[in-house]
Amino acid sequence: MADAPIEIEFDHVSITLGATPVLHGLSLRVRRGETKVLLGESGAGKSVALKLAIGLLRPDQGRVMVLGEPVSEMPEAALYRLRRRIGIVFQESALFDSLTVRDNVAYRLDEEHAMDLEAIDARVRACLAAVELEEVMDKFPAELSGGMQRRVAIARALATEPEIMLFDSPTGGLDPITATNIMEQIIRLRDVNQVTSLLVTHRLQDAAMLACYRWDPAQNALRPADDTSAHTSFLVLHEHQAVFDGSGAELNASTNPYVQHFLQG
Amino acid sequence: MATAAPPRGEEEVQWGFIGWLKGQLEGLQAYSLLTGRTFRNVLARPFYGGDTMLQMDSIGVGSLPIVLMTGFFTGAVMALQLSATLAQYGQIQRTGQLVALSIVRELGPVLTGLMVAARNAAGMASELGSMVVTEQVDAMRALGTDPVKKLATPRLLATISMTFSLTIVADLCGLIGGYLYAILALRLDGRQYWYTAMQALGATDMAQGLLKPVVFGIIIATVACYFGMSARGGTRGVGRATTQAVVSASVLIILTDFLLSRVLIGFFGA
Repeated sequence: MADAPIEIEFDHVSITLGATPVLHGLSLRVRRGETKVLLGESGAGKSVALKLAIGLLRPDQGRVMVLGEPVSEMPEAALYRLRRRIGIVFQESALFDSLTVRDNVAYRLDEEHAMDLEAIDARVRACLAAVELEEVMDKFPAELSGGMQRRVAIARALATEPEIMLFDSPTGGLDPITATNIMEQIIRLRDVNQVTSLLVTHRLQDAAMLACYRWDPAQNALRPADDTSAHTSFLVLHEHQAVFDGSGAELNASTNPYVQHFLQG
Repeated sequence: MATAAPPRGEEEVQWGFIGWLKGQLEGLQAYSLLTGRTFRNVLARPFYGGDTMLQMDSIGVGSLPIVLMTGFFTGAVMALQLSATLAQYGQIQRTGQLVALSIVRELGPVLTGLMVAARNAAGMASELGSMVVTEQVDAMRALGTDPVKKLATPRLLATISMTFSLTIVADLCGLIGGYLYAILALRLDGRQYWYTAMQALGATDMAQGLLKPVVFGIIIATVACYFGMSARGGTRGVGRATTQAVVSASVLIILTDFLLSRVLIGFFGA
């Protein structure tokens, strides 16, 4: 993992929205196949970091590189091409409410016109099966529960088999069973598909699950993992700056007062 | 020599005004950029023909009943009002002429524009505003689609073509409304009504009457898309954007009608 190429890199990134500073001098690196978990209290700038990674926002200072491309400097038209290699799951799912689940998941495939209708339907079914939601294909988002919407959003992001996934609080506001189910999908993506991920959460349970489990393809189930086999690192944001960046074991051993306070809840 | 500093209250008012002016100029700049991108995308691939047809159906078919009624009763009331004045000069037989000129040149395009603005600018601004505040527009960008191309350009094309078509329908209904009032209430000869109406209308009147709805269509679509896509602050922000879109589009239609009429009369003559 240490010699894998860097796929996401923030170099001293700062951004102010309106008159409010949101991130100050943030630097991070995520290597291929690694999951970087962004932790921190609400308003620390975690979601903004995801939007910077996909070019929905531009930094005031610093540089963002994704898949070798300077996202922070690219024109919008070039970003549309790059974004086809990146999947994102928004905090509130952001499904298109006037489209069915099938059309939401197939959205990017329909737009690209690169596959015939049967192939698109087969891909949609496969993506929905991966999140165990094949039966809701013809429903509208408003007819689904919050957890189901979140899983459809994951299926939509997976439809084009992206190289990078960005998850914004994928389990926020969900019941423990649904949350565990979603985290299983994310671990499977990390360990089976070697997808590079940036995951925002303020739930320590999610962070612990990513650090302590790996997906065993032979058993098709979660198995306990050690610090190196989990391919997960952590970055803690506090007052718009990174106060910790390291592995799960280093996070537990951190002497930073804010990190300790955060971990102790 | 040192000058006395202005009282603090006065300074705040001055900076408040400058801030307001800066906000207005930034808004105008954003509106101009969005309008430019919307027009530029008309010729750029991919073309969203299906979305344009859906919008045409929503704007054209959806607005047809109110445009039919508005056109018909405006024609009838024009015949009522003008005939009373014309009767004083013994020229009541010219009712058709005046109804035709006022409907085709002014009232048809302006009232159609206002009706389309009231119904569709509100619909467009609230739909786009809701998409913005629920991050659907961000999701669209993240999925590699230009929201201006996907959302604004089809609405622009549909609004222009439908405002143009609805104006022709409104003009026709206005003439029929005037005709029915003329033969039923004024007991005028129907053939004379149509003869004077057709004689009065020249190519320049038609050109004026058909150019205006194109401009009004552009105003309605671009203003609605601008306010919709600039919506901030949840459902209250969407409501505010909707109101601003309808008010701004309506005021701009009336203002532009005056300016266009002045220019076209100067160009073609009265």
